[in-house]
Parts: sequence; structure tokens; C-alpha cells
Amino acid sequence: MKQEFRDVLFSEIQRVAAADSRVMVLTADMGAIELTKFKERFREQYINVGIAEQSGISIAAGLALRGKIVFVYGIIPFITLRCFEQIKVDLCSMKLPVTIIGIGAGFAYGLDGPTHHAIEDIAVMRALPEMTIFSPSDPVSVEQVTRMAYAIPGPKYIRLDKGTYPVIYKAEHDFSLGLAVHRKGEDVTIVSTGTLVHKALAVSDELAKHGVSCGVVDLYRIKPVNAGLLLHVIEGSKLVATLEDHSIIGGIGSIISEVLADNRISMPLKRIGIKDHYSFRYGTTEQLHFLHGLDVNTVTKVICESLREL
Amino acid sequence: MGVAANGGHPGGTFSCTDILVALYYGGILHFDPHNPHWDERDRFILSKGHGGLALYPILADLGFFPISELESFGSVFGINPDNINVPGVEINTGSLGRGLGIGAGLSLSGKIDRKDFCTVVVLGDGECYEGSVWEAALFAAHHELNRLVAIIDYNGISALDFTKNVVRQEPIEDKWKAFGWNTVSINGHSFPEILRVLKDIHDPKSNKPLAVVANTIKGKGVSFMENNPSWHLGVPQGDELETARKELS
Repeated sequence: MKQEFRDVLFSEIQRVAAADSRVMVLTADMGAIELTKFKERFREQYINVGIAEQSGISIAAGLALRGKIVFVYGIIPFITLRCFEQIKVDLCSMKLPVTIIGIGAGFAYGLDGPTHHAIEDIAVMRALPEMTIFSPSDPVSVEQVTRMAYAIPGPKYIRLDKGTYPVIYKAEHDFSLGLAVHRKGEDVTIVSTGTLVHKALAVSDELAKHGVSCGVVDLYRIKPVNAGLLLHVIEGSKLVATLEDHSIIGGIGSIISEVLADNRISMPLKRIGIKDHYSFRYGTTEQLHFLHGLDVNTVTKVICESLREL
Repeated sequence: MGVAANGGHPGGTFSCTDILVALYYGGILHFDPHNPHWDERDRFILSKGHGGLALYPILADLGFFPISELESFGSVFGINPDNINVPGVEINTGSLGRGLGIGAGLSLSGKIDRKDFCTVVVLGDGECYEGSVWEAALFAAHHELNRLVAIIDYNGISALDFTKNVVRQEPIEDKWKAFGWNTVSINGHSFPEILRVLKDIHDPKSNKPLAVVANTIKGKGVSFMENNPSWHLGVPQGDELETARKELS
């Protein structure tokens, strides 16, 4: 049976905790099958702080100050925005080894409405000095970024989608580069992140039917960005497009534009993401993607139009 | 220091100075100035970081760093202490409502690792408007963090006005009690009272954390600052400075 991303992640945390009693998991009253197993196996290393993200981050900081390696788990808007100041001061300013696990990227909580939609988190979290941000796309990358988050110093944020997604990486894939090139494209390269990478691959398939050569890059580490490799990859295309389940402001589209500008490279860029408004439409993630132009057909059409405009 | 750097929060600094003196010189806190990261040390958190001008001279006097370094206030040292530049400072402060949560995490880590150190957090009463203080208070009581002490510098004045005019806090001691803490109210300028209520923190007789409501006077020791909301911020000038120096000496 396929595991949800969060269960892949908490399975991996069980593996590291089995060898390291410093590992602790704090949850803001959010569950997962494998988190329950963690609780049963490592009772003293599990704390439910309640629906109290602000003190949850501060408590995590206190634990980390005495050498604990802490993971804090909650729904993205609440475990990033509600407690943003605690993340800034308690974790980032003191460079503490605490990993924030945010569940529900983009419209993952489609039925819950804009309070639960996570469309600003990349923009605000990447503005924090010291913060490392991972946005895995498949079970292998979830497992690997979890292990990296355990191993590297300082604060980290793992942006997780809900649900199950197919494997796109080999188990031995090297995730140290920060991005992966799944396909190279002469006409366009789509840079995507998280589970939108699967959509980018489907768009690439569709574009191939129209004779368009479309590359796909998975930006699974959003910060720090491997700008050198990113530029090397996208410079071979006529157009670079970004595809993300995040606001068009401040997400990976903004990151690419910053990388291009900072390196004085002028090339066409089409940013595809969520327009600058809140969505009061409710439904499945796919339905909301369709309503916001993030479905395969619409993205394919938008990229074709952008190529025609070159 | 504040005068030289032309900045500071004198009112809230003077209201907590006696508490800090009692903690550091009265045998309450266990620490080693020559080994500030000693794991068995008690953790002291000045959660109301804007009172940092009360902390720096104590740390310097005790030998955490040379007294001459106090001259770096306004450059290396800021109004709100940080643990990057200042030996003896446990956490970065400035924004309010975080110290008790961090203190709870430290205290919990000690409980998990079977350590006997205590964690003492000084909060401002204005700081207690922050909801995160009460989140942490709930957590500490639930986890029976009986080596955690919160001292509320209860001077009755927030940044702009008396707290009774801003948002009423009374009965403050009952609130901490209702959150599951042992509580006591004292005169926060009486060394015997401060020492009496804190003398047993390393040998707790109860599973509850301890909240001390320290009734204090904002601007204590300087007549024109005492109980005067306008001295939350500010630097005395000219005659005011002379008067303040005379009254404090």
C-alpha cells in the first residue's frame, strides 16, 4: 500500500530516532499513522503541545537549546504564519536545529477554505535568514529530505503535500544538489516544486504531442537555491516557466526572476501559480487547481501561448 | 549605559533590578561565569528583554565578561539581550511572550534527561497580554514542570498607560493559579521576600511550576520616574540625569 507523504516522513523519523535519543517530535494536535507509531515507540520523545503553535515553536526552541533535535508538525498556515515571530526569533535568530513539518501545500485542504490554503508560506519562510526549505515531490524525496533535515544544522521547513503520489526518483538519487532535471527541453523548461512536479511532467508529455520540447526541473530545495545549476539548466531553453501551488508573489516564480536578474540574464519567463487573491471556492485539490488554471490542459495552453508570443 | 547610548527602557529596567540582584547575588541561581554553558547551570531568561540594562551590569560584575565591555552598549550590546554577543544570556529577547515557552522547553528537556537545574523566567505584566504566555503556562502545568519559575514584574504599567486602563489583568495571581501553578505574591523590592519564596526551587515539594507575582514600582529608585507611565521609554537629560544619579547612588 502506498504511504501518504507524512507517513513516509514519520517512518524516516522513527529510523533516525531509533539511533538517536535526542530526536523529538512535537505536534500541534495533528496526527498521522506513522506518528502514532512514533509515539508508541518513543513515548518520551513525543509531545502534543495542543493547538498552540506559538508556544509550540518556543518549546521546541527550549528543547533544542539543550541539544534536542526537534521536529514540529502542523498544518502549513498555522505552523508557519501563526507563529512566524517565534520561528524568526526563537529558531532563526538562534540558529536552532528545529525542523518545521508543514502539511497541506497549496490547495491540499481544498474543502477547508482559505484559512487552510497554503499559498503564502514559501514567500514568507524564504525571507527568513538561516532557514532551509525543502519541498519534496515523491516518497523517495520525502524520505531523503527528512534525513537531510535531521542531519544539517539550523532551522528547516519541509513543505508537504497531503495524499499519495507515485515514485519518480530512484532510491539512490543524490539530493544534495537542491534540484533535479527530469527532462531537458529546447523550447521550454518548467521549473516546479512539490507535487506540482507530477503535473509539470504531464504538461511536458502534452507539449511533446504538439511538437514542443519541454524540460522539467524539480526544485525540491527552495532555499538555498542552487542558482548556478538552475541557470545552467534553463539557459538551454527559449522560455522558462514556473509552476507552483503558491501565490504568484514570492514563490518559485519570484525566485527564478531574482536569479535571472541577479545574474543579468534576460530570458522570457512565464510564472504560473495562484493569482493574488483568496479562494472562497471549495472542492478537491484537483477541482481547485482547475478553477485556478493549474490543471494540465490550461497550463499546456498557457505555455503554448507564451511560446507563440516569443 | 542608556544615557551614553541615548536609549533604553528605564521604567521597566528599574522595576525588575531588585529581582535580578536577588536571583544572582542571593544564592538562588546556580551558575559559573567562567563556564557559562555548564549544563547543570540554572537557566535565567529575562523574557521582558527591554529590561536588559538591569542584566548587563550584573553579568559583568559577576565575571561573565569584563566590565569594560559594558561600554559596547549601543553597538555590540543592545537594549534587548542576545545570546550571540553576551556571555550568560540564554536566549535572544526583544519581542514579548516567548520566554516562558522557551523556558518550558528547557525545563522539559531537563526533566527528560533527569537533570536538576531550574529555569527562572522574568516576565513583564504588559507582556502577559500576549496569548503565547498563557499557552506556555498551560503546557508547563500539564507537564508538571516543577523546576520552572515565572516571576511577573507586576509594576502595573504597560508601554503607554496603567494596565488597569489598558486591559484589566486583575486578579492576576488567581489567573496563574487557575492555570495550574503554585502562586505567591510578594513585594518585588524586598530581598528577604524574594529570597524566601525562591529558596526551595531546587527542592520542589509540589509537581506544579511556581508563579511569583512580584509587586514592583516602575522606575523604582528615581523619584520622577516612579509609577510614571511616561518613563517606559526615555533617557534622562540635564537636571533629571543629576537627580537620577543622586537618588540611585
